[in-house]
Amino acid sequence: MKIAVCYKLVPDEQDIVINGDHTISFDKAEWKIGQYDLVAVEAAMRLAEVAGGTVSALSAGGKQLENSKLKKNILSRGPVDAYMIIDETMSDADSYQTAYVLAKAIEKIKDVDLVVCGEGSSDMYAQQVGSQIGELLQWPSVNAIGTITLADGKLIAERMLETEVEVLEIPIPAVISVTSDIFQARIANLKDILEAGKKPVVRWDLDDIGGVPEMSTNVLSVLAPPQADRRRVIIGGDSGDQINEFYEHLRKEL
Amino acid sequence: MIIQKTEEQELLLENLQELMSRVCTEDYIRTCEKNHEQPHKLIEALVENGFYMLGLPEEYGGTPLDHLTYFMCVEEVHKIMPPFGWPRALSLNEMLRLGTEEQRKIVADLVKQGNMAFSFAITEPQAGSDDNAITTTATRKNGKVYINGQKTFITGANISPYMLVATKDPNSPDPRKSVSFWFVPADAPGVTIQTLPKIGWLMLPTCEVFLDNVEIEEKDIVGVEGEGFLQLMKCFEMERLTNCAVALGSAQAAFEDAARYANQRVQFGVPIGSFQLIQEKLTYMAIKIENMRNAFYKCAWEKDQGISIQLSSALAKLYCVQSGFEVADDAMQIMGGIGYTEDCRISRIWRDVRVLRMTDGTDQVMIHIAGRALLKKYR
Repeated sequence: MKIAVCYKLVPDEQDIVINGDHTISFDKAEWKIGQYDLVAVEAAMRLAEVAGGTVSALSAGGKQLENSKLKKNILSRGPVDAYMIIDETMSDADSYQTAYVLAKAIEKIKDVDLVVCGEGSSDMYAQQVGSQIGELLQWPSVNAIGTITLADGKLIAERMLETEVEVLEIPIPAVISVTSDIFQARIANLKDILEAGKKPVVRWDLDDIGGVPEMSTNVLSVLAPPQADRRRVIIGGDSGDQINEFYEHLRKEL
Repeated sequence: MIIQKTEEQELLLENLQELMSRVCTEDYIRTCEKNHEQPHKLIEALVENGFYMLGLPEEYGGTPLDHLTYFMCVEEVHKIMPPFGWPRALSLNEMLRLGTEEQRKIVADLVKQGNMAFSFAITEPQAGSDDNAITTTATRKNGKVYINGQKTFITGANISPYMLVATKDPNSPDPRKSVSFWFVPADAPGVTIQTLPKIGWLMLPTCEVFLDNVEIEEKDIVGVEGEGFLQLMKCFEMERLTNCAVALGSAQAAFEDAARYANQRVQFGVPIGSFQLIQEKLTYMAIKIENMRNAFYKCAWEKDQGISIQLSSALAKLYCVQSGFEVADDAMQIMGGIGYTEDCRISRIWRDVRVLRMTDGTDQVMIHIAGRALLKKYR
């Protein structure tokens, strides 16, 4: 089984600066692999380890993808190789552009049986890319996958819905998006890290995969909510009156 | 010497950090300390993720790496954890170098499963810094070897299946060639182990060991008879760096806690960090930490370059453990009363770092080693 697992580089939330006009600056931010994507890598690796096969990492983005430490980081989690579509246009790509480019890359990689995505990206968390890749490839696409096994060439997956769990049989090729708690991302050890530096990385630009469509969305602005000062109201005790007082304070704010 | 960490070192330390943060919550640490037990969950995670065997040869299931990276890992672990019996690679490497194939296999198999394998039984009631004064003997009778004596301050003796027992031949013409090491099962008849209650290092027991006619075989000798200390000299130098790493990791943690607290704690209507007396403390703490890191990393780097660290390891150990304690002490002063409570990890760090000034050579022994070496250089 050939599995492609998608990941996105996101700014480290600790380094995000909110400017005086509520705009958000990533200028000083270190880049890291999205936390949900590391879980997706783990899910892909576990499936490949049990069912046999290989896992390739796949990403599209700007020049941050060239960062060799980040390349080693993703490859130290188990994938045998990585494919990257690097173009500055992709730095601000919307979910449709991202899904389009990734779908084209999956076709170009050839013989991919399964695409695994995370629950959402760690920055925008639109939860769109996985579903859109499936649509573009005309493959079954299912999100919220909480468990997964392979039987008779089909995926047996549990889909975690709000009040119920669906057990699905999904023919492959398919695209799945896994929940954030399907597994805990693995810890890479020294051997994994040293080997990661030797694994192949295939770099494509947009021309290699036939370009990218226009944005389907128009972002007017991204603003942080204004910060409110703490009210510094302290209510001691647990009597009914005190709880009511506490509730009244909350109600007024909402 | 290049101080900037490589990408591989950064990734290794980030992964180790992640592992530590998953397992070692303050609650978990407190529980292990309260129960005086080793952090088995952490040890299991270190084994499972390939960290426990770092620095050991591949043929024994380990992952060899350079000294600098190895000690960076030790530092990283001790930013969160008090000493708990890891790392052991340095002493283990010597054991694997000196031991017979059978001894090597026993040790490697035990360590692979996260065990301490063996304790170092050297110190005796009358032989601490003066380790040449040991009186434990190995006597031969009817083809067997009998060990008699008393050992004290033996770290982990009651949780290690074996002991590396130092004995002395009182009749040896050359006192430098009178000490031998023996691989003794900790459960052999005649071995009695008692724990010594102490104020810190609560996850790692310290024991008294009584050896009463303990029968072992000739094959249980480790290395060459009579050359015990000469064989293990290198190991002692490296243990000094382990102390540096523990002191540095602990000091860094104490400093960070104190600096955060100084920003948050409001007295006289302002955060205490705005007072210059607090700023002075934090500034000197930061300088000490920087100097500790420089001295210790340089020493580890020298080891990797094949440069002798006989002098530099003594200097680094002396400076790091003294400064580590001073940083912890100042951190406690900044935290005030809350820093002295068990709710606050500064109190744990403070008591755990203190003993580093005595383990693996006291401050005074480090001065003794360094002083003589310095004078020799200018003779």
